[in-house]
Amino acid sequence: MSSTSAPSGPFANIFLRFGFLIVFAAFFALFAVWNPVFVQGGNLMNIVEGSAVLMIVALGMTLIVATGGIDLSIGIALDFGAAFAVVAMKTYGLDWFGAACAGIIGGSLVGLFNAALVVGLRISPFLATLSTFFIGSSVQRIFTNGGGPISHRRMPEEFRNLALGQIAGIPTEAVIAFVLAVLYFLVLERSIWGRRIHAMGMQRSAAVVAGIRVNRILLLCFVLASATCAVGGLIAAANIRMFTPLSGFSYLLDAIAAVFIGAALHPRGRPNIPGTVIGVLFLGMVANGLNLMGLNFNTKDALQGIILLSALALAVAQRKARNG
Amino acid sequence: MQADAQGRRFLLELFGFLPVIIFAGVLVYISFNAPNFVTLRNLELIVMQSLPVVLVCAGLAAVVMAGGDDVVSGGIDLSIPATAVLSAGITAQMLSLGYPLLFCAAAALAASTVVGVLNALLVTRIQMTPLLTTLAMFVAVVGANNVVTASRRINVDHPWIIALRAQDVGGVPLGIVVVALVVAAAFFLLHQTRWGLNLQAAGGSRDAAEISGLNVNRFIDQSFLLAAFTGFICGFFILARGSGSSPGVQDNLMLEMVLATFLGAAFSPRRVVTMWGAVLGALLVAAISIGFKSMGVNLFWTGLIKGSLIVLVVAFSAISQRAR
Repeated sequence: MSSTSAPSGPFANIFLRFGFLIVFAAFFALFAVWNPVFVQGGNLMNIVEGSAVLMIVALGMTLIVATGGIDLSIGIALDFGAAFAVVAMKTYGLDWFGAACAGIIGGSLVGLFNAALVVGLRISPFLATLSTFFIGSSVQRIFTNGGGPISHRRMPEEFRNLALGQIAGIPTEAVIAFVLAVLYFLVLERSIWGRRIHAMGMQRSAAVVAGIRVNRILLLCFVLASATCAVGGLIAAANIRMFTPLSGFSYLLDAIAAVFIGAALHPRGRPNIPGTVIGVLFLGMVANGLNLMGLNFNTKDALQGIILLSALALAVAQRKARNG
Repeated sequence: MQADAQGRRFLLELFGFLPVIIFAGVLVYISFNAPNFVTLRNLELIVMQSLPVVLVCAGLAAVVMAGGDDVVSGGIDLSIPATAVLSAGITAQMLSLGYPLLFCAAAALAASTVVGVLNALLVTRIQMTPLLTTLAMFVAVVGANNVVTASRRINVDHPWIIALRAQDVGGVPLGIVVVALVVAAAFFLLHQTRWGLNLQAAGGSRDAAEISGLNVNRFIDQSFLLAAFTGFICGFFILARGSGSSPGVQDNLMLEMVLATFLGAAFSPRRVVTMWGAVLGALLVAAISIGFKSMGVNLFWTGLIKGSLIVLVVAFSAISQRAR
């Protein structure tokens, strides 16, 4: 960590310490020069608003990665959140609050199932959540008779406002994401509970010896992460006034990438909330900037993949060089 | 007391065999309920269906054997299916432009090698986790393939490619012969040669291998190249199976590859990923998919069945491992 172990020269030093942030700024400048619309206040707010759901999902993922695992089923939790909420309103006529609670409970079921596999049957998180992904996708197909969307045009205004409303001029979804990020930060980085999570993520056997109730923490983390993703599902459903089966999968990779970009920025390589936020905003900025460049859809997709890979490589290389 | 201990050991042995027993049971159940399941024609169909998965499983097995079988921090290559799709895409696109097949294959081989080299560089030089590297690589390569093929289906009717599906060699389809040769060569390399045993040692215990003077990173590099090569060959089988390249093949291939390879570990006596285990896993997954299809089970249920199978098999092998 000390700068003495890094290669000499002022530029090398600056780069090692702020390398990723420099690249972040360089991309920002590039997009701004390419299309001045990019830096207008409205567009910057678009980036933040467009990143809200990914931010929420990535927060849940950060929690699971901090415990030393991974969750491939976050998309399922998101889908279940959206499905339970839409069905609660459409079929059972619940108001927006009841629907939101139903959605969060629906998402938590996914986390409970994961916890049963990981804690109860001691399956590794990767394989356990992969099977949850298979099973959850299948359940959605069976439930929707093949994957057709369930639309609910006459959704209560309050529920729609979760995505389209504004609080003090800021889009509600961005406010929700921000509040959740702050809560996650306090829990994971500033509370004794967060210490325990990090402890078990770094060395599980040591955490057990130290008397940390590892299984209980794992259970809580899986449920909490899934419930958080379900909130993302509520917003996604409110946005398009329908539940689209299997749509959560598209967030999985970006969420993992954001968490690991964030972890690479951390001095000790731990997943952490501020890092995840930077990762999410980076991905959101790149997606928005490439859109404004007016590229062909396929080219944009490929560029986004290549930038993601390079960003990850850079962030990891930077940490490695910094730590000597 | 003695009898108790013996009974206990017997039970443990039985538990170890449970994955095999479960699969055998499912297959017997299918053969009683599906007409014509156990006919030579149908068995041939199952093997033909599984060929692309068998190939990528062989590649993944090599990477896991060299990098260790911890799914998150050990060796894994999720990008093989993307490499396969890229190989198929390049070949199809160039064939449609009128280039000779060998030239197209050379281009596909070059592209696949680039993917393998990049994976190896990122994992062993920059020290990114293989899971993260290859997941991001998957996205980047699929993006590149979408640029190559413009996300369109491209028909291929080159006689050599169709021959992989339709031609017989002494009563056995050519495709099966080719894959059997590739798998036999991979098996010989990994399980019978000094190089292969050293590679397994590298994955078995990195520290012990380094102390005994093995260059672990070199084996990991080579395993990624081997994996990329199996992806390259798999591309032609994708073309043969679908009479061309179509977008979206990679997702299912990736899930089946992971399922089959880690299922294969449950069949090995030491619960480690082996070449035969992976191939057997791929065949069984194909057999069960086709079996349920011919029983008339709704397609929506296949994910649920596959997911439950992972849970059952992995849970039993975890339990028997722990009891040992």
